[in-house]
Amino acid sequence: MDSTDDSPTGFCSGPQRDRSNHRRIRLWAFFWAFSFIAVSLGIKKEWFAFGGTLAGVIGNLLFGLATVLAYRRFLQETDELRRKIEVEALALAFGVGLVGGLSYWLLMVSGAVSATGFAFVFSAMLITQSVGVLIGRRRYS
Amino acid sequence: MKNRLKVLRAERDWTQADLAHRLEVSRQTVNAIEKGKYDPSLPLAFRISRIFGMSIEELFDPNSDDRS
Repeated sequence: MDSTDDSPTGFCSGPQRDRSNHRRIRLWAFFWAFSFIAVSLGIKKEWFAFGGTLAGVIGNLLFGLATVLAYRRFLQETDELRRKIEVEALALAFGVGLVGGLSYWLLMVSGAVSATGFAFVFSAMLITQSVGVLIGRRRYS
Repeated sequence: MKNRLKVLRAERDWTQADLAHRLEVSRQTVNAIEKGKYDPSLPLAFRISRIFGMSIEELFDPNSDDRS
């Protein structure tokens, strides 16, 4: 793409800082997701004793914390418009999580759905955040 | 908010990428400001005014809002 044109694109070719921050987020998120699956499987299949499970949960928590801190660093260092888009998408995802989560909880209490399906609420939040970012990029293009 | 960014940039023969580089923002930010879709933060508005050697009032028209 010719960088001298005035077409409304440009985030993909964003600053190097954004790219390295994205790499950092992806790396920690991978470790977090991998440890989450490993610990979940371990609990289900009874691979570990209580101490092992506890260590796994703590490890998963630390990877999650590292992911959150990496994302916070990205938000602090990124371009101000990008930050606005990300924060608006996060607010949307939080709203979906809160409203969807409480509705699901009501259904769960009434016995209409099981507790295991609650993970769908988190999936909905992640999807909403991603869609929110895409909408934001289009809106400001 | 309407502004004179595009005209001033063109007068200096700068591309959006050139201006974005000088302002240390993304090209999409420059594009969004020029189109009036995004109002810059106060620190960024001051950086823009410094680069063009003008006051913020000369660059931005607070009485207009051409967001679409």
